[in-house]
Amino acid sequence: MIGTMAQAAPYVGYVYPNETDIPWSVLIVIYPYITGLVAGAFIVSSLYHVFGMERFKTVARFALLTAVSFMFFVPVPLLFHLGNPQRAFNAVLTPHWTSAMSAFSYVAGFYICLLLLEIWFAFRADIVSLAKTKGGLLGRAYRILTLGSDDVSGKALAIDHKFAFALAVIGIPAAGGLHGYVGFLFGSLKSREWWSSDLMPIIFLLSAVVSGIGLLVVLYVAYSKFRKAALDDACLQGLAKTMWAFLTVVLLIEGLELLEMFYKSLEGIEMVQRLIEGPIRYGMFLQWGLSLMVFATLSYLILTHASGRALVTGMFASGIGMMLGVLAMRWNVVIGGQELSKTMKGLLIYYPEILGHEGLLAVLFIFLCPFIVLWLVTRFLPPWESKARKEVSS
Amino acid sequence: MPKHIMRLMVLVAAAAIVGFSAKIYFTDKSYYRYGHYRGDSVAEIAGDTPRFRGSTYCKSCHEKQYAVWADSPHNKPAEGRHVQCEVCHGPVGLHPNREGVPSSFDERLALGAKHVLSSEQNGAPTKLPARKDKTECIQCHEAMPGRPTAQRQVELAAHAGTAPCVSCHDPHAPKISYSGMPDKPKGNAAAGKVLSANCTACHGPGGESTNPVWPNLAGQHATYLINALQAFKSGARPNEMMGGMAAGLNDADMENLAAYFSGRSCKGIGADKAKAALGKKRSASCALCHGPTGVSPNPSWPDLAGQNEAYLGATLKSFKDGGRVHPVMSSVAKTLSDTAIDNLAAFYASANCK
Amino acid sequence: MESDTSEAKKAEPGSALRRNFLRAIGAGVACAGVWMNDPLQAAPPAAEAAPPDIPGYDWRKHKWAFGVDATRCIGCLRCVEACKAENGVTQDAHHFRTWVERYVYLEGDEHARVDSQSDPGNIAASDSQQAFRFDNRYASAPVEKAFFVPKLCNHCTHPACVQVCPTGATYQTPDGVVLIDHSYCIGCQYCVQACPYGAREFNHAMGVTDKCTWCYHRITKGLQPACVEVCPVEARVFGDRNDPDSPISRFIRNNRVSVLKPQTGNAPNVFYAGIDKEVS
Repeated sequence: MIGTMAQAAPYVGYVYPNETDIPWSVLIVIYPYITGLVAGAFIVSSLYHVFGMERFKTVARFALLTAVSFMFFVPVPLLFHLGNPQRAFNAVLTPHWTSAMSAFSYVAGFYICLLLLEIWFAFRADIVSLAKTKGGLLGRAYRILTLGSDDVSGKALAIDHKFAFALAVIGIPAAGGLHGYVGFLFGSLKSREWWSSDLMPIIFLLSAVVSGIGLLVVLYVAYSKFRKAALDDACLQGLAKTMWAFLTVVLLIEGLELLEMFYKSLEGIEMVQRLIEGPIRYGMFLQWGLSLMVFATLSYLILTHASGRALVTGMFASGIGMMLGVLAMRWNVVIGGQELSKTMKGLLIYYPEILGHEGLLAVLFIFLCPFIVLWLVTRFLPPWESKARKEVSS
Repeated sequence: MPKHIMRLMVLVAAAAIVGFSAKIYFTDKSYYRYGHYRGDSVAEIAGDTPRFRGSTYCKSCHEKQYAVWADSPHNKPAEGRHVQCEVCHGPVGLHPNREGVPSSFDERLALGAKHVLSSEQNGAPTKLPARKDKTECIQCHEAMPGRPTAQRQVELAAHAGTAPCVSCHDPHAPKISYSGMPDKPKGNAAAGKVLSANCTACHGPGGESTNPVWPNLAGQHATYLINALQAFKSGARPNEMMGGMAAGLNDADMENLAAYFSGRSCKGIGADKAKAALGKKRSASCALCHGPTGVSPNPSWPDLAGQNEAYLGATLKSFKDGGRVHPVMSSVAKTLSDTAIDNLAAFYASANCK
Repeated sequence: MESDTSEAKKAEPGSALRRNFLRAIGAGVACAGVWMNDPLQAAPPAAEAAPPDIPGYDWRKHKWAFGVDATRCIGCLRCVEACKAENGVTQDAHHFRTWVERYVYLEGDEHARVDSQSDPGNIAASDSQQAFRFDNRYASAPVEKAFFVPKLCNHCTHPACVQVCPTGATYQTPDGVVLIDHSYCIGCQYCVQACPYGAREFNHAMGVTDKCTWCYHRITKGLQPACVEVCPVEARVFGDRNDPDSPISRFIRNNRVSVLKPQTGNAPNVFYAGIDKEVS
């Protein structure tokens, strides 16, 4: 839609004239959402790689591949949204460090490298064996990835493990930084009442982890059904407890945040109330409704030591619920914040376009890409321990 | 250290060097000169060409208009009033040069050159006419809650109906002067007296009409009389009798006639006192132009005091039904009932004319 | 690897690189989550280098400021149209470098009714999104108090927009003007979000953010900003605070002036006289 503005946002009360052109579209809803999925998936892999929780071994390598597949697409919505995407590298050339956004390329770049390295170390033995068995273009790719070394001796693998461990340790603060930074991006703006909160980075980070675990559960269950492989109850139970713990804190902090806002009742609180009752009421309903339902489901699964079919169904539903709930939360923050006028005397109403480079179809397309990439990546580097081993031995 | 680790480190180091060299190479040379920005951009931004150039720029060619404006209430900076040329005429830009004036519609719109669009022709110098309809004036002078009381404001409907502001006001010097406007006829009254022989049949000797349906001319403003004769001659004011009479007059004749009639003194005529009293009450809106007692402060507008009652009534009705057309009077007359017209006519007929 | 470019920076010599070094450290600190956000940043080290090549102008000798006397404004919107014409601002009712707000209290009202150029009633009144006027909706209403307030970029001493710009496309000059480099802006609109005053707008045709420059191309030539030039009632005042006799110095001296939203810490340089509690 270059050259014209699609539609001025209708409004009630008084808003500054320039606000009727809403700056950040639905693309900026999907950006922190995808980042959050990455952070969540990575945390699960770290629970095995760093904290040594054996029950997560089944999904640890898959979680890494999930994280990297989604990480590739974190910058895409941002590039789609820029007025001059061809100049995006200006932020890399001359990063203005007082801006949270200037750190994006460095933080994201650093994190992608870290993920790639960790994957390389985690899969090196597999790569070496695949390089020996596969021919053609694929075999050549594997051989390049070995960097010309087929050293898989115990000593070499031990060194690899040390590196992988170090990278995973660095990765936890990096993942936290990557997503806490997104929260800072919003929370540090004093111009917007709905964003300007010290709790924003924490809320973003914790809800990210919850949504990321949700995604992992959904993918794990779907993949296992697809491969006709048995699901690991211990792993799922572990995921349920982790998700439950993070979700508890998220609900608590988000609830306290709202409570504080209304308890303090600073100037303009009427508009905040009208925002919640008006433009974002469906978003709030989804966010809180789904979060509480998932919380109840997880509590039930944990209390009853559920296993087998009940556990799988419950976890799958919880995963979907949490992914949608956190998506709604991202909408409520990003769009809701802009629907509440800086005048605090009015509200705007944002209607996303369907077509166009900032439309819902573009967002859907961007969000489907990581799933496709993940599928290709898992074909290239099969992450499932047992099956991979079977293939190698046969 | 195993071979693959060493190779990995070499790769990482190479990438770092390439990345950093690229950063040095692609960063603008003037970046960081003054701070965290492209130093050259300051002079680039400062180098834009101003489009508004101030009234003194206009003065060099439009000296006459400038002089009128400079001495008017639209130019009283000491009182905080400073309506410069470009406030109404829009930005000068590169006027009068066509060269460099953007040619596409969008470009001109982008320059806000809406004033230029109407009269600009290819190859001709650009023109900057202000809008002559009301929109330009009412932007500042429409009575509106929120405007400071010091700002002159008018209730549009009550002030002059749909008449354009410029039919009474000169936008360059909008204040209508009620004093000091010279009404010294240029013509020769003696020569006019000779010519006036042709008029006496209807308007009476000395301009005192023989029949109340025809107007008295004695003591009327010279400027008004000249304007009226010219309007008859050009057909702007269609009248079978007067059109024929005026056709034979040149400008000097008209001035002489006007000098003669305006120099005569008028006589008051009596009228029904009750009707006159009612008419007086209704006369407030007339007073703006014709004066509170029907003696017009502006020589362009006729005196009404002492005019024939029948003529006044017939004229107002003629404005009302469209027989006569005038930007102000037509709309004013439409607001009057026939009774009101009769009362007004009685009031002005009985008013003291000198 | 991109991750290591910041590491490599530290090893390189050179004066420009010393600054990079500091920035790299800044990045490291930022990643660790301890953001050193100096609120007094943004003053560029302009004294060292020769001033920009602007004929007859030395930015070290001026300190510009702007005054708005709301008691004089008649809401004629000549300033709004002049600004758009002078600066090529998007010609519609949703993008402004400067605009005028109308505040009206009807009898018994606790809060003002506010409207401006984006209001559908006012768009209808001018019948065009290229020309602007206020409709006369309160002509026969029981108005208790009403007034107009011109708004524009406040050219803050501590501009939130400059703080958040990721590239350094927008910056503050030593003479106190916040500019934007349209050829460097990537169009992320973070600055639009950060401005507490809604003073920034996005130019969709150019894909960059646009903002009031106090007509930097005019004031550096000794002219007044376009909006000041056309204001028929001198509701807008502009000048150099270094000159005690300039219009702005006199305006600030002779009036009880206030600024908008002082609690943001932005320290605006547009000073208002005659505004009301509802104006923000």
